[in-house]
Amino acid sequence: MRVNTNLVPDILADLAQSQSTLNTALQEVSTGKSVNVPSDNPEASAAMVQNTIETANVDQYTKNVTSELSTVQAADSALSTVVSSLTQAVSLGTEGANGTNSASNLQAIAQQVQGILTSVVSQANASYQGSYLFGGTATNTTPFTANAASPTGYQYNGNTDQNSVAVGDNLSVQVNLPGSQIFSSPTADVIGSLSSLVTALQGGNSTAIQTATTAVNSALNYVGQQRVFYANSESQLNSQESYLQQETVDLSSQQTSLVGVDMAQAATTLSQAETANSAALAAASKVLPDTLLNYLAPPQ
Amino acid sequence: MGGLNTALYIGAQALEVAQGALGATSNNIANANTPGYTREVPQLSENAETLNGGQVSGGGVTLDGLQSVRDELLNLQIQQQTSAQSSVDAQSSSLQQIQTYFASTGNDIASAFSSFSTSLAQLSANPSDASVQQEVISSGRNLAQAFNTTANGLTSTQSAADTEVSQSVAQINTLTQQIAQLNGEVQQLTAAGQDGGTVEDQRDQLVQQLSQLTGISVSQSSSGEVITTGNGSPLVVGTQSFALQSTTGPNGLQQVLDSQGNNITASIQGGQLGGAIQIRDQVIPGYLTQLNTLATQFATAFNTAQTQGFDSNGNPGQNFFTVPAGAGAAAGLSVAITNPALIAASSDGSAGSNGNVANLSAALTNALPSGQTPAQAYASLVFQVGNDTSNASTESTAFGQNLLELTNQQSSVSGVNVDEETTNLIRFQTAYEAAARIVSTIQQLNTVTLDMGSSQSY
Repeated sequence: MRVNTNLVPDILADLAQSQSTLNTALQEVSTGKSVNVPSDNPEASAAMVQNTIETANVDQYTKNVTSELSTVQAADSALSTVVSSLTQAVSLGTEGANGTNSASNLQAIAQQVQGILTSVVSQANASYQGSYLFGGTATNTTPFTANAASPTGYQYNGNTDQNSVAVGDNLSVQVNLPGSQIFSSPTADVIGSLSSLVTALQGGNSTAIQTATTAVNSALNYVGQQRVFYANSESQLNSQESYLQQETVDLSSQQTSLVGVDMAQAATTLSQAETANSAALAAASKVLPDTLLNYLAPPQ
Repeated sequence: MGGLNTALYIGAQALEVAQGALGATSNNIANANTPGYTREVPQLSENAETLNGGQVSGGGVTLDGLQSVRDELLNLQIQQQTSAQSSVDAQSSSLQQIQTYFASTGNDIASAFSSFSTSLAQLSANPSDASVQQEVISSGRNLAQAFNTTANGLTSTQSAADTEVSQSVAQINTLTQQIAQLNGEVQQLTAAGQDGGTVEDQRDQLVQQLSQLTGISVSQSSSGEVITTGNGSPLVVGTQSFALQSTTGPNGLQQVLDSQGNNITASIQGGQLGGAIQIRDQVIPGYLTQLNTLATQFATAFNTAQTQGFDSNGNPGQNFFTVPAGAGAAAGLSVAITNPALIAASSDGSAGSNGNVANLSAALTNALPSGQTPAQAYASLVFQVGNDTSNASTESTAFGQNLLELTNQQSSVSGVNVDEETTNLIRFQTAYEAAARIVSTIQQLNTVTLDMGSSQSY
């Protein structure tokens, strides 16, 4: 059988092959990625689409959790101030109801309670980063404003809607209670009961003062119950925060396993490819010039 | 019995034959690297014996001619593999261009979806913040642009393939003309009882080039070589060539017509032409359809979510995206609104409500009418592009290996082996020297014979 002595196509194909392996190895080491275009690994590229979107989302969800935590904490601390104010009002009311106070004393107590009422209203109008905390979703409107026509002296300008902030895919946490629910609930009206106490103290009737004080006391309990909502939100946000941190780690390790490069392995591959390439070149340089002519004596 | 003159005649013939053989050898060496060259072997035969005075004597040697050593079956296989490979190569190079639009570069659709989704999550926490609303509009615009860029990238690759179609048709026509002409020359040589030799080499080389352009089928008939396209439209019959035509079709793309005017575009397979048509009419339209469906369905879902809510001014939300109907959806997708206040984050009409943001985000995470979420739909497109590209390049490597194998076989049959030719050179050199010695010996003997009758003696 006749043997093909034209080695050029074979050698060129081999060189192209080893050069391409070398290029791939070099690219992996220099970019740190094993997948640079979809054809490098179609499955991983497709999975990376989801991973890219998810990673950015988790990042934003984490930011949302942080900012909502501050909002919820601001609301909770406002309510905590309200609670201590109400506690003070209850003791003032109890003092006013014991029947030993002079009219001028009662007036002084009434003034103190009036001060407490103003402070509670200012807490009800608390805002965080320019948004009112207790106006429902009407965050640009002052929730409680004075209104002489209203029996309590104040009117509610907000709405009864609640916002839920996205902190995960299909997971959102309620972050506010409308002010009407906290401060002017028909069952335990904070502002109304304080305002009644002021009126009762000004009237000087011990029984009326006693009744009004009881109402303030139940409003106090009621606000305490409402705070549970914020405590729940806070704990939900906190646990979501740790979940998101875990998620970030998971996504980034998924990314590494999908498109990342094991540097030690990539460097080894690169060095192997270099050796293979120089071997192919060396073989070509040995084989190509070899013909019978090398061994024939030149013509005399 | 043979006289000295007979021996002289035989010697002279041997000189001629050795010269001819040296000529063939030198031609082989000269063409060792000529593409398509088939080595030529001198055909020697011994002359008829002569019966002279009851005695038989040899009649010397004759050079019958030079014979090209070729294997027609191998040639056919090589043509087929060449067609297959150049088709896959054409597809592979187009796909390599296409897949860069789907690579994770930061400007691709996946990254744009990602930042759009992020901006909506941010809007959820700050529904009335104008800078966050602006961010939603900007990232929406980026998303629309990513769709535009990808669709335009696909379309421009498609037009490049279209240009390739008309160019290939022109090249095919030039080649078939030349082949028909060479067919005539081969016929004349064969009729004169000669080996086609270099003319056949040239023709084989042209047929090989033709097979690079399109899949062909080659057969021999009484009128010479017959070449048809894969589906049987004649390209060359003997000395006649049939030109293909390209004409702009109703979709604005070049259609290939055979010499009878029949549209054979869909049936052309193999070669650069087949590859370009496959990419242009099957692969890219497939991707574009998916991209357009995704753009249309996503934009519609987002617009619906937007109209469910209220903007910062308390008005019902209006469409966020403008999406052209049908084929131009991805290329023409744009953001309809410029005023950040028009983003319908609110579910109750108050500026601070974020109740509708969940609906807006749901357009990204819920299944579209296609049954997949936007991310899944895009991911499966990325997978398809990546897989097609990877398959094309694997096939190209495989066909390349086959072709190399076949070319090696052909080379081992028809290729010039310089070592062999060098050996032949020495062989024929020796033969020439020996034949020359015969002539000079006979000349000396003749001189001796003539001198026998002369007065001069030694």
